[in-house]
Amino acid sequence: MKLRAFAPIAVLVLLCLMIAVFSPNFLSVSNAIRILNAAAIPMVLVMGATFVILMGSIDLSVEGVVSLTAVVTASLVQNNLTSADLGYWAVPIAMLAGGAIGAVNGATHVLMRIPSFMATLGIGFVCLGISTAALGGFPVRIADREFRNITLGRTFDIPHGVYIALAAVIVAYIIQQRTRLGRWVYAIGTDETTARQSGVPVERTRILVFALAGIFSGLAGALAAAQLGQGHGLIASGRLFTTVTAVVVGGTALSGGVGSVLNSVVGVLIVVVLTNGMVLMGVPPFVQQGVQGLLIIVAVSLALDRRLLSVVK
Amino acid sequence: MSAIIAQRAAIAAALTLTIGFAAPASAQDKDLTLAISMRSLSNPYHATFAEGGRKFAEAAGLPFEILVTEGNSEKGLADIRALISRTGGNVCINVDPNDSPDARTIVEEAEAAGAHVVTQWNKPEDLHPWDHNPAYVAHMSFSGIGTSKEITNVLIEAMGGEGGIVALGGILSNVPAIERKQGMEQAVAEAGGAVEILDFQPADWNETKAFEIMQAWLTRYGDDIKGVWAANDSMAVGALEALRQEGRAGEVPVVGIDGTDAAMSAIEAGEMAGTVAWDPMWTGGMGLSLCEAVATGKLDIAAEPEEHREFYGTGIVVTPGNIADFKNRDPSFDYNDYWAKSTGQIQY
Repeated sequence: MKLRAFAPIAVLVLLCLMIAVFSPNFLSVSNAIRILNAAAIPMVLVMGATFVILMGSIDLSVEGVVSLTAVVTASLVQNNLTSADLGYWAVPIAMLAGGAIGAVNGATHVLMRIPSFMATLGIGFVCLGISTAALGGFPVRIADREFRNITLGRTFDIPHGVYIALAAVIVAYIIQQRTRLGRWVYAIGTDETTARQSGVPVERTRILVFALAGIFSGLAGALAAAQLGQGHGLIASGRLFTTVTAVVVGGTALSGGVGSVLNSVVGVLIVVVLTNGMVLMGVPPFVQQGVQGLLIIVAVSLALDRRLLSVVK
Repeated sequence: MSAIIAQRAAIAAALTLTIGFAAPASAQDKDLTLAISMRSLSNPYHATFAEGGRKFAEAAGLPFEILVTEGNSEKGLADIRALISRTGGNVCINVDPNDSPDARTIVEEAEAAGAHVVTQWNKPEDLHPWDHNPAYVAHMSFSGIGTSKEITNVLIEAMGGEGGIVALGGILSNVPAIERKQGMEQAVAEAGGAVEILDFQPADWNETKAFEIMQAWLTRYGDDIKGVWAANDSMAVGALEALRQEGRAGEVPVVGIDGTDAAMSAIEAGEMAGTVAWDPMWTGGMGLSLCEAVATGKLDIAAEPEEHREFYGTGIVVTPGNIADFKNRDPSFDYNDYWAKSTGQIQY
C-alpha cells in the first residue's frame, strides 16, 4: 500500500533510465537544466490545479487566464504598445488579476451552482476573447530586457524561472500541510457532506481555492510573457492538457481527496521528460503521440489503487 | 429562477465577448454587402486580412462584415448561409475556408443565391472558379513550395552553404505545412549533400512547443546545429527564445515564414536570417475589390483567362539585407489593377 505512493517516482526513474540508454546526452547537466527550465511554467500551473482537483473540481480556464495575464504583464512593462514601465511590479499585478479571475471562476461555480467544468470553461473563453479583442489579434512585445531576466537570467547557471517554480512548490506545500485551507480541501474532496456537517465552510473554501489557482495561473502568465518576450491570445495554447495530465499522472485522483502537490511535481517532470526524451531518442513524430498516450495510462494505473475507488466517472 | 436567468446572461455575455466581432448589418440595406470570413482574429495574419477588407469597404463606401469560424467549419458555413439569406444574395464574400471541402459548399450556396465568392488558401483541387461562373470569382493563394524553397536557400546561405539543420513543421495534415516541408526538402536536396536535415519535428505552429523541441535538440545535437528552419514565424520565434535562454540567440541562423512583427524585429536585431512576408492586406482588399467588380458588372469574369481565376500572390523574402527597403515600401496598391501582384496561375 505504501509502495504505491512511490509509483510515480518509479515511473519517472524508469523513464529516465530508458531514455539514458538510448541517448547518453540525456543525463548531462545542461540537459537537466533544460528540463527544469521547460518544467518551470507547467510546475507553477499544476500547483493551483492540484488543489482544485483535490477538491474534486476541475479548472479548465488555465489557457484563458495564462494568456490574459501574459497580455497584462507584457502591457505593463516596457513594450511596443503602451507607455507603461512597471518592471517587476507587473508580476504581482498579473497574479492579482489571475486571482480575481479565479475568484470569479469560484463564484460562478458556487453561487450559480454551475459545475466547475462548465463555469471555468466559459470564463476561460471569456479571457481568451478579451486578450484577442484587446489586441486585435496582434502580440504585445516586451522591450524591457531587464524584466525578461525573471526567466532568462541565471544564478549558479540555473535559470531564474526554475527558482520561481521552486518557490511556488514550497508555498503550495505549506498551504497543503500547514493551513486550514489545505485540510478543508482534502475534507471536501473526500466527502463533501461530511465536511459540511463537521463545519467546513465549503462554499468559501471552493471560491478561495479557485482564486488560489488563479494566482498561480497569473504567475505562470507573467513567466510565459517573460520567457517568450511577448503576450498574445494564443500564447498558452496546449498548457491545459499538460497541466491536467501532469496532475493525474502524478497520482492525484480526479475524483478528489487523494493526492498531493508533491505528486504533481513528479507528474510535471514525467510529462516534460517524456517530451524531451522522445526528441532525444528520435521517436518518429507520428508515433510520439501514441507513446505519450500509452505512458500516461500506465502511469495513472500504477499511481492509484483503483480497487479502492468506489466510483469511476 | 433568477439563478437560471443570471446563468443565461453570463453565457450570453461570454458568447458576445468571444464571437461578437461581426456587427450586424440592417436587413434594409440595398447596398451590396462586403464580408470577410476566416478562422480567427487572434493571429496577426488574419487580423490584417480582415483589416485589408475593411479598408476596401471603406474606400468603396459599402457595408462590411467580419465572420469568424473559430476553427469550426459548421459555424463558418452557418454564418455564411445566414449572411447570404439576410442580404438576399446581394453580397460579396472573401473567405479563407476553415477546411478545403468547405469551399465547395460555400460556392454552391453562393451560386444558388446569386452571391459572389473569392476563396483563399484552401479549396479542393478539382473545384475551379471557371466551372461556377460568375458566382465563384477567383481563388487566391501563395506558393508554399516555391517560397519555402527560397527561404530555405536564404538559411543555407546564412549557414555558409553547409552543415546540419533542424526543422520545425506545422500541423502534419495542413496543406501549407506539407508544401512548406516539401519546399525545404527540395532546397536541401539541391544543396547536394552539403546540408543535412538532422531532424524534423512538427510543433503544430505553436511557439511553446517549438521552444521545448528546440531545447531537446540542443541536447541531442548541440553545436552540430548550424541552422533552424521553421514552417512559420511563431515557431521560429519559439526556437529563437530557446536559443536565447542558452545565450546563443544570433549565433545560429533561424528562418520562418509569414512575416510577423516579432520576426521582423528579430531580423533587424540580427537574430533571424529571414522570413517570407505574405500580403494579407492585399488578399483581404483585392479579394473584395475583384468580387465587387464582378457583382456590380464592372468586370466580366467569365471572359477572363484561367490564370486570372486561380492565382498566386507575391511572397516577399525579407532578410537583414533588405528589411529597411521592405519597411519603407509603399504598402498601398491600386484596387482596380486586379492582377498586378499575381505571380502566375496556381499549379496542382
